[in-house]
Amino acid sequence: MTQFALPPELEQLSHEATRFAAAELAPGARASERAGAWPPAVLAVVEKLGLRELDLPESLGGAGAGALAKVVLLEALAAGDAGGLPAADPAGTCVGALLACPDRALAERVARACLAGEARAALAVADAEPAGPTAVYWAPARPPLRFVFESRGDGLRLYQLERPLEPVRALAFQASGGGSASLEGARQLGEWRLSTQESVDVRGRARLWCAAVALGVAQAAFDATIAYATDRVVFGKPVAHHQGNAFELAVAAANLHGARLLARDAAASFDRGEPDAGFWATQAWLAAVDAGVAVTDLGVQLLGGHGFLVDHPAEKRFREVRMLALLAGGRDLADADLAARVLEVPDPLFAGAGATS
Amino acid sequence: MIPLDARTREQLDEVRELGRTYMRPMGLESDRTGEPPPADHPFYLICSRRGGLVSRVVGEGEGDGPTWKPLRALLTAEESAYWDRGVALSLPGPGLGGAALRSLATPEQRERFLAPFADHSRAHWGAMAMTEPGAGSDVARIQTRAKQDGADWVLSGAKMFCSNGARADWVVVWATLDPALGRAGHRAFVVPRGTPGFELLKIEHKMGSRGYETASFALDGVRVPAANLLGGAAAYAGRAGFRGAMATFNLTRPLHAAQGIGMGRAAHDHALEFVRAHYPSHGARRRKALERLAEIRRGLATARLICLHAVWLARQNRDNVLESSYAKLFAPPVVFRAIAAALDVVGEAGVRSDAHLEKLYRDVKILDIGEGTQQVQRLVIARQLFGFPRGD
Repeated sequence: MTQFALPPELEQLSHEATRFAAAELAPGARASERAGAWPPAVLAVVEKLGLRELDLPESLGGAGAGALAKVVLLEALAAGDAGGLPAADPAGTCVGALLACPDRALAERVARACLAGEARAALAVADAEPAGPTAVYWAPARPPLRFVFESRGDGLRLYQLERPLEPVRALAFQASGGGSASLEGARQLGEWRLSTQESVDVRGRARLWCAAVALGVAQAAFDATIAYATDRVVFGKPVAHHQGNAFELAVAAANLHGARLLARDAAASFDRGEPDAGFWATQAWLAAVDAGVAVTDLGVQLLGGHGFLVDHPAEKRFREVRMLALLAGGRDLADADLAARVLEVPDPLFAGAGATS
Repeated sequence: MIPLDARTREQLDEVRELGRTYMRPMGLESDRTGEPPPADHPFYLICSRRGGLVSRVVGEGEGDGPTWKPLRALLTAEESAYWDRGVALSLPGPGLGGAALRSLATPEQRERFLAPFADHSRAHWGAMAMTEPGAGSDVARIQTRAKQDGADWVLSGAKMFCSNGARADWVVVWATLDPALGRAGHRAFVVPRGTPGFELLKIEHKMGSRGYETASFALDGVRVPAANLLGGAAAYAGRAGFRGAMATFNLTRPLHAAQGIGMGRAAHDHALEFVRAHYPSHGARRRKALERLAEIRRGLATARLICLHAVWLARQNRDNVLESSYAKLFAPPVVFRAIAAALDVVGEAGVRSDAHLEKLYRDVKILDIGEGTQQVQRLVIARQLFGFPRGD
């Protein structure tokens, strides 16, 4: 029963990243947002912390540190500033596709291009029903988007893009830049059929990326809300000491705590090679964005009018979590994945029954 | 996947077997009659003879210190409530009174009051009486008075919501020297059954969770020796005594929450069987039902992790006041919604009592009330996280 203790190296990673996020990322968040990029010095530290390579296996040129390490790092960085994270992680949401891609040489080519910072890969989660060419609605502007994995039902395709993205303004993550692309006319490099479980793993890893970032943003929002709401006095006492507000904050804290445990458990499940990790990662993403949307909403609400102003980070976090709740195919496709697997996935308590443990 | 050792698996298998054979049918019978199973029901004797199971199931652990097995207690609480939460609460053992004993009693008192539980020739119960008609979650408001009279103490007042109280060998009764003293005035006494003036008023009739007795008592000049003051007078210097008693509930709150997870699982499994039987192929209703099942699974899995985490902290001797309250705040509403969602999967068929789901819906509500309501948990969390003032 040791799954709650992070190994010492991850504690260390979390500690370092948290310190860096507070000291370097958070103070410059608005400037990065205006500039449309994190400063080069910040990107250098983030790279040194292992963001790009952490959860890619060594066979693809990565560090092979696993999904839990990645989740811990993303949470810590996102608490400082999530804005530039998508840009700084060129294969971030494609790790599942790279792991599942049956053409290992092709997977390695994509992974190495991403690791070198020369190209970006995106995962486009499409409805299982054919409905015209798939679109990448939003991808960070840098490095250039060259590869798109299309995950449609149990099918996985890899496309190469030649044209640059069409620049778009997005709800959040301005520090990553952003643009759209259509796969129409893109060169198909490969097409494979996966099992449903493998497909849910592909999408589940992408959702776990979003969940980790959402948890970091939400925790920062919660901490900032508490700081403000215990300082600002209304009707004779701090905002947080009015029972109506205190109760909402308590519930938000419990939900956030639960979502974090679920996300880390799903990450550890990937690292243990368990068959239902993608199912639980999808569950964790839903829990994280539900908790995160509620926390960041409260973060704006309890600041009152201030919360609506860009003078405070509350509105930025509010937008970021909402956007994370729309990525990786969105909620309805996540529900569809869960519905497709729920009858086969055993209760984790009984999953090991009959094992020698 | 939750890695479990062989002994824990064996124990869960044992609870499962007893649950299927005895606890579920007994729970259904109690629900029909409105009466808890009689104290001489053969199942209780089986539990006593197997030794230990009983105390494990109600989360009393297996003694003190390093031999205490919080994880196993948590999982058995969940598994037993899966079969019937009411009957699980009725299992023989020292109950919450045992928890109070462990945190406050002198070694001599532990020996004296826990010794009967080593007798496996018949079932034995202990109980605790804290709640009063006018003091529930706000335990500091209890009015039952304790007055010293020579070498004895005399207790007067009224208690209610005392689980297994009428069949207990003894009841740990909380009383106050003077209500104006607040918590500092609280004292706990062990009152043996049959003590003159300790009068059972009634066994309550409840909406659900009918498998255990919920007793109300009057205390009319109940005289107990000073030797029955839990911990002796020294234990109450300062606020440590009351804090000790409350610390006990840091361990029992996750157990309470875990019972909910078991009930949520039971509802899930009913709905699952219904889906398999009635919506065997593709269709809008099957798809909707599967999404509901997935959402139930999400809530239960999260609740279980919160409970396990709270107990894991305790096992490492780390403070878990906050995390225990997270467990107790999070699980009951999630389980309530899970059971409601399972009912929605079944639809109109769910109104029938033989579908069992409507019973779970009635049974589960008390989980959000006992051991500190959802509202009290929010207060505890608010105090812990941002200094929400007491007395507000």
